[in-house]
Amino acid sequence: MSQPLDGIRVADFTWVWAGPTCTMQLAHLGAEVIRMETTNRICTIRMLPPWPGGQPGPNRSGYFNQYNQGKRGILLNIATPEGAAIAKRLVAISDVAAENFAAGIMKKLGLDYDELVKVKQDLVMISMSGYGQTGPESSYVSYGPAQVPMSGLSQLTGYDDEQPMHVGMSYGDPNAGLHAAFAVVAALFHRDRTGRGQYIDMSQWESSMGVLGEAFMHLAMNGEQPRRNANRSEFMAPHGVYLVSGDDRWISIAVRGDDQWLKLCEVMDRPDLADDPRFRTLAGRKANEDDLDMAMMEWTLQHEDPYEIEAKLQAVGIAAAVPQKNSEVLSDKHIEDRGFFVDLEHPEVGVRRHAGIPWKLSETPCEVKRAAPIMGQDNEYVFGEILGMSSAEIADLTERAVIR
Amino acid sequence: MANMSERALDGISIVEVGCTGAAAYAAKLFADLGADVVKVEPPKGDPARSLGPFPGHVPHAEKSGTYLYLNTNKRGVTLDITSDAGRTAFERLIAGADVVVHDFTPLDAKALGLTWDRVHALNPDTIMTSIFPFGAGGPRRDDAFEELTMLAAGGWLWLNGWPGHPELPPLKPYGMQTAYQGGVNASVATMGALYARQRGISKGQHVEVSVQECIASILEMTLPTWSYMDTPTARWGQRPIHPIDMFKCKDGSWIFVLCIEEHQWQRLVELMETPEWTTWEVAANRFVRASNWDALRPFMEEWISNWTARDLYEAAQARRIPFAPVSTLSDLVNSEHLNVRGFFVEVAHPQAGPIKHAGAPYKMHGTPWEIRSPAPTLGQHNAEVLGEKLGLSGDEIAAAQGAA
Repeated sequence: MSQPLDGIRVADFTWVWAGPTCTMQLAHLGAEVIRMETTNRICTIRMLPPWPGGQPGPNRSGYFNQYNQGKRGILLNIATPEGAAIAKRLVAISDVAAENFAAGIMKKLGLDYDELVKVKQDLVMISMSGYGQTGPESSYVSYGPAQVPMSGLSQLTGYDDEQPMHVGMSYGDPNAGLHAAFAVVAALFHRDRTGRGQYIDMSQWESSMGVLGEAFMHLAMNGEQPRRNANRSEFMAPHGVYLVSGDDRWISIAVRGDDQWLKLCEVMDRPDLADDPRFRTLAGRKANEDDLDMAMMEWTLQHEDPYEIEAKLQAVGIAAAVPQKNSEVLSDKHIEDRGFFVDLEHPEVGVRRHAGIPWKLSETPCEVKRAAPIMGQDNEYVFGEILGMSSAEIADLTERAVIR
Repeated sequence: MANMSERALDGISIVEVGCTGAAAYAAKLFADLGADVVKVEPPKGDPARSLGPFPGHVPHAEKSGTYLYLNTNKRGVTLDITSDAGRTAFERLIAGADVVVHDFTPLDAKALGLTWDRVHALNPDTIMTSIFPFGAGGPRRDDAFEELTMLAAGGWLWLNGWPGHPELPPLKPYGMQTAYQGGVNASVATMGALYARQRGISKGQHVEVSVQECIASILEMTLPTWSYMDTPTARWGQRPIHPIDMFKCKDGSWIFVLCIEEHQWQRLVELMETPEWTTWEVAANRFVRASNWDALRPFMEEWISNWTARDLYEAAQARRIPFAPVSTLSDLVNSEHLNVRGFFVEVAHPQAGPIKHAGAPYKMHGTPWEIRSPAPTLGQHNAEVLGEKLGLSGDEIAAAQGAA
């Protein structure tokens, strides 16, 4: 059966995490994504752990292999004039070009939209730099971890009255990549209707603020910066992450409404709490939340197994979930049942478990078709079969470090 | 050249109904590119109408910031879809739509008649997008959930905490990030389904999204750290390299300190005028700096305490070191860079007044992202959509509101 982006080719100049997340979505939807890399400047992510056995190697990084699934990979030094010319030949027979260098780099290489559109008149091109292509800071350098503080998310996240916090991962990257993929497919949709391609200037910073839309309303409406309030909610109490007896185990619980509060008291076998007038209404529970959380923790600490609490509360319809460690996500029976994980053979790391596609299309089912490419894996296919170069030509370009 | 008045998704009709914000955000992404979105709310209003923030902190169904942000460019109708008359009108809307998107659990969706079989029977060309918390199948499909517990179940919550403070619970990132991620992932898949339909690859289809998997898909190196190295991730995220940290400056503002590449660190050492500690073996490369960060951090903290955040940011970026501000909301709204790019947009709402919104996550040069109309008031388009478009009489519209 066909997939939505069958026959769509992506000339993939991206690196690190944001850009590769975008092009992985396009690969998920069935596009042929050809990632250009060079040994002169190996992708940062290839040089980061995890590596099997702790042994580094550019083809061994689980981080790289997770976010480049389904793509093809070639070596091409686009910093050489000949390399750039070959990249243009690839763009000429592609539908999409994607990049996430700092603004100005593609222009310096002679590979900006104005140049590329000359070889592919209806090209859809997306740039995904940290700051966007225009504005006084457009040439600044940025990575996904910086988007969390830059966007305002750090100032909004933290324990009560303590310092701003990060969010545990470089959220700006995947968030930008996903928004970018949506824009690219929308642009392809428009291209097919009108014959017109277009250029898309995406700023990782701006897309990071797009998921903080309601925060800006606090400022616009009341001139306020919301306080950092750990895990509490304006609308629910109890609402928190509570310690369970034993080794650093926790349970997240969110109780909605007075009915659920009474059910919770029943599960906790604490009729005294149900009768306590301080806790009868949400307003009362919010006003006495420190005491409420003490009572919660007293109960959760009576348990050694957080899953026991999860099951007890879910049985009465109260939202509760154990904060999952990486090992637990990967062995989650529910997720396994759904067929989310990808366990493909990779030439250097063997079969390793990766996260797959978080959605299913009933009539055009999509799947991860291949493990992430090792460096230069598809040189022969791309230079020979697609671009029609002879073996002698490829050997010569390799010799002269253009293919490298 | 493209005609700037043409929008990428002109003529695409979408019916949206939901409760978590995920369907609303997905539909907003489509609406802001030109799709005609009809938002179906219960007669008492969408849950986001009570989330706020509200001007002057006074709750008002037409002035909730969360609702106003998530529902730009949409038309709004009210229907009691649990009543026969309401359900009939709802199904007629769906039968005329390209896409129907919702974010109920499988159990709730079924109770509302929102099943793929039913939608497909109404119109074989309609795409149905279901943003389920745990997907359509599997043992947890109908689990109770809230934003907090979805962060736990997807594996994000575990990653976030304060280095050096294991006694503090896993920390929720601000806002409703699982709703946003469910929304943007659903948009990518739905745009793929629309493109497949346009290309004649498929007719309508069911797009089924698992929010839990959307979160598990974006956890950076977290999952491979287990599948490649059998190593659990620390509760404050993976920081295999350093510096990646936040420091308070002399003006009380915070700076985000980041060196991904070794050459960036070298330039930072120059900026610091090569203090002795940077020559020690424990600072020799990004991996050993990470292992020894507790010992090194105080040196950097002392150096930074002599700077203002703004000066340090500019000094670092002048040397292409990717430091970033830890922005407050007002820093962002006053940012010269963002204002030159026109990121924030003022939207005039008939009751809430003019309000500055977070703007475009991408700038599409051929087809504008634009706010054409503010979020609808409750039932604002009942006459226009239910009356003129569906041909319901005033009595029928009243009956479709269910029991008073």
